[in-house]
Amino acid sequence: MTDEHTHRDDANEEGSAATNGGTAQADGGTEADGGTIAPTTGDLVEGHGHEEETHLPPLGSLKRWFVTTNHKDVGILYIVTSLFFLIFGGVLALLFRVQLWTPGGTIMSGLGYNQAVSIHGLIMVFWFLSPFAFGFANYIVPLQMGAKDLAFPRLNALSYWAYLFSGILLGVSFLQEAAFPGGWTMYAPLNIPIYTPEVGATTSVLALLFFVASVTVSSVNFLTTMHRMRAEGLTLRRLPIFTWSILLTVWMMLFAFAALLAALMVLSSDRILNTTYFATEQGGSLLWTHLFWFFGHPEVYIVFFPALGVMAEVFQTFSGKRLVGRKWFIASMVLVAVQSFIVWMHHMFLTSINLQVKTLFMATTIGISLPFDLMVFSLIYTLIKGKIRFKTPFLFCFGALLLFIIGGITGVFLGAVVLDYEFRGTYWVVAHFHYVMVGGVTALIGGLYYWYPKITGRMYDEFLGKLHFAAYFVGFNLLYFPMFVVWETPRRVFVYDPAFTFWHRVATVGAFVLGFSFLIMFYNMYKSLWAGEVADGDPWPFSTTAEWAIPSPPPLENFPGLPSYSSGKLTFGGVDSASAIEGATASSDSGTAAADGGVAHADAAHAHEEEHADHASVWPFAISVGAFLTFLGLSGVTTGGVYPVVLLVGAVVLGGSLLGLARESFHAPDRPVGERWPFSGVENGKLGMWIFLASDVVLFGAFIGSYLFMRVAYGWNEWHLVPHNSLPGLVNTYILLTSSFAVVLALVAAEKNSKRGVVVSLSTTFVLGIAFLANKGIEWYELYHEGTWLSTSIESSTYFLTTGLHGAHVVVGLLIALFMITRAWNGAYLDDERPIEYFGLYWHFVDIVWLFLFPLFYIL
Amino acid sequence: MSHLRLYTAIYVVLFVFATLQVAVEYAGLLENAYLLAFGVIIVLSFVKALVVAGYYQHLVWEPRSLSYLIGIGLLAVLALTFAASYSIT
Repeated sequence: MTDEHTHRDDANEEGSAATNGGTAQADGGTEADGGTIAPTTGDLVEGHGHEEETHLPPLGSLKRWFVTTNHKDVGILYIVTSLFFLIFGGVLALLFRVQLWTPGGTIMSGLGYNQAVSIHGLIMVFWFLSPFAFGFANYIVPLQMGAKDLAFPRLNALSYWAYLFSGILLGVSFLQEAAFPGGWTMYAPLNIPIYTPEVGATTSVLALLFFVASVTVSSVNFLTTMHRMRAEGLTLRRLPIFTWSILLTVWMMLFAFAALLAALMVLSSDRILNTTYFATEQGGSLLWTHLFWFFGHPEVYIVFFPALGVMAEVFQTFSGKRLVGRKWFIASMVLVAVQSFIVWMHHMFLTSINLQVKTLFMATTIGISLPFDLMVFSLIYTLIKGKIRFKTPFLFCFGALLLFIIGGITGVFLGAVVLDYEFRGTYWVVAHFHYVMVGGVTALIGGLYYWYPKITGRMYDEFLGKLHFAAYFVGFNLLYFPMFVVWETPRRVFVYDPAFTFWHRVATVGAFVLGFSFLIMFYNMYKSLWAGEVADGDPWPFSTTAEWAIPSPPPLENFPGLPSYSSGKLTFGGVDSASAIEGATASSDSGTAAADGGVAHADAAHAHEEEHADHASVWPFAISVGAFLTFLGLSGVTTGGVYPVVLLVGAVVLGGSLLGLARESFHAPDRPVGERWPFSGVENGKLGMWIFLASDVVLFGAFIGSYLFMRVAYGWNEWHLVPHNSLPGLVNTYILLTSSFAVVLALVAAEKNSKRGVVVSLSTTFVLGIAFLANKGIEWYELYHEGTWLSTSIESSTYFLTTGLHGAHVVVGLLIALFMITRAWNGAYLDDERPIEYFGLYWHFVDIVWLFLFPLFYIL
Repeated sequence: MSHLRLYTAIYVVLFVFATLQVAVEYAGLLENAYLLAFGVIIVLSFVKALVVAGYYQHLVWEPRSLSYLIGIGLLAVLALTFAASYSIT
């Protein structure tokens, strides 16, 4: 407990001195005017008590970091891990910048260069940028919205471990002949084994698939949390702007990543099972671009929105001014989030799509720049109206705004069809998206400095921070601006016109300056962690959000009492009556955080002693190890050797640890009252299941859409249905409908407290599920013996893969059913039938999917 | 009507609709009027899906926001499918 004690004692000592004028208000709504924000003392004691009760090892213990499910710990893990991947991706970039020192290359082979460029892109976009932002999201969002933790803390830990292990898997791919060398966009047909035959290329694809699984779990968790666990009075309108940016990011993630998941599943199947989607001459490569960019364009905003949120937050704090046009800023973000799903074909202007659709997507693309204009002007005007303090976080965020403006304007060129014909595949594109994306990184670095004192309880060194900014900003522009100058350089190859050599050398020098600037940052962060000035709860004058109203770092369960904004100010209503008595809650003078500096009061009506929540579980880690081995085994399973054994071991570890997670008793924190629009009346678990199903709708929809697209490309009427007869399909429809009805009966039986009824109904479901699979197995067996299999034709590929994915859903459902039958046998679910209801939601969804697959693949 | 009777009635309706889809095929409508047959069969699928979602998944008794949530997902993939298919016509 040593470190934990130290930090808290520090915070404790400093707490009473924290009176420098910040205010905490739901929406950061008004200018600070001297309200008091100070940590209290009672919460510190409470925090210690919780750790002991929840068996969470102390911060100094290595074990803690493997078992923790606390959002702040997970946030730190995300931040540290993502910075590791920044170094990984950055070193790859330095390698290929050295390669570009002279036209034709210097130090790398062609394959080496292709790997470096491709994996650099994948790492930076997926394993660095979003996870870096989500480190802050994990740490800060629950604090800003007054929650003790996320809705599903173990799933949050699972997201982290899946993220880490997917990144390790990507690293391993370098050791299996070669990592994926076909560019970060993984275009078809380069992405199929004829062109990229290396086992490592398959591993890279599987690593990304693993990462997407992590993202999906994370999306479900954040959406449930943010819609169900906001403090009383914290309506969406009042939500702090950073939290708003994360909310919209997660909504985009939910739908966009499901499309990528579909694309990656199909690609994995093409690579491992020899289906022929992307090898198909008619439509194969276009199918990839549609699926990839349907994900890929929202991804741009998924990456950039958190940075925008940080910018707005930091501008407010360091100008002492409320964001100008805050309501319209939020409306613009919402608009962009929606529009982001209807602009994807501007990435495809040079493919064979028709001119009408290009024109349409040019219009939507130019349209999406308008809300961004509004946001940029809002940010600028906020600075004009405010009184700026040039601290390091501000410098980075201001720099980010300048870079983003350049990146945004140069992007408008690419949105115009005619100009894109010229610019596509050149360094103009490279320069443009680095100004946007690394511009976003710049703001996030600002966020790192901004929240560093909150997370560590220590202040960073301001001089080194500014030095970092100077080196960073110079390095950035030396690196990327020359790319605009020599924009005619073709992208992704190291042979270029010798006339461009000077500018490419400038860029290479810039890359090293940029890289060096991070050494200053790492030194600063490391040194300040031990020797930095102790930071109090609110080191920034004019900060307005709730994380600054509690000590730095915050105690385990964040708040001294239940946070509420119902009075218009942040109060910590009496959750812990002992603390309240001692004056340790917000009702005391020192605990008030209010816009007008008025005294808030503990609301006795909310006095509620919540059961102590759990904060530790080893299963998320174990599951991720199992999944890692499973994917590693899958990558080379067709080549034999050790891979099938690794696959088997992985599957056993995965299955065992999933079972461990399901059997573990874990009490997640909940809040008795709060803002829950628009999902009040839907319990957390149920909402989580529905959100997951929404992403599954997109996954299956993308599979079915792929089938329809390939059939249109092939010629609708020339297409041959694979099954000879619709009757086996009809029988399976009857079977699934009956199994759905059996689940309904199980729920009715549970409501009537009939143990026998529950067991019999669930067992019926199980038997019918087996019958469905058996019937399907017979059909597949016959087709196989007729010579029709996965790689026979695009017709058979789509048939086997789509119905196979559905079959896999059935298998998962059956495993859950089996688990539930054994529990029901022991008398579970009679007092609480919700698990049966949630299982039913899943099972009925699988049924619904079949209701579409049946006519599409058997009749029409 | 108790919920159990409602659920049972729905089960029968779903059973009949599935049979109808195959009946449309066996009646030779696909050969004679493909578009009509296509429309009928797909509409039947949507009706079945709505009934399962509405009653077996209880969406009719839940806050409407859950239906919108699923609707948004459906809308997204329909947009993807139709726009992608149109792009190659």
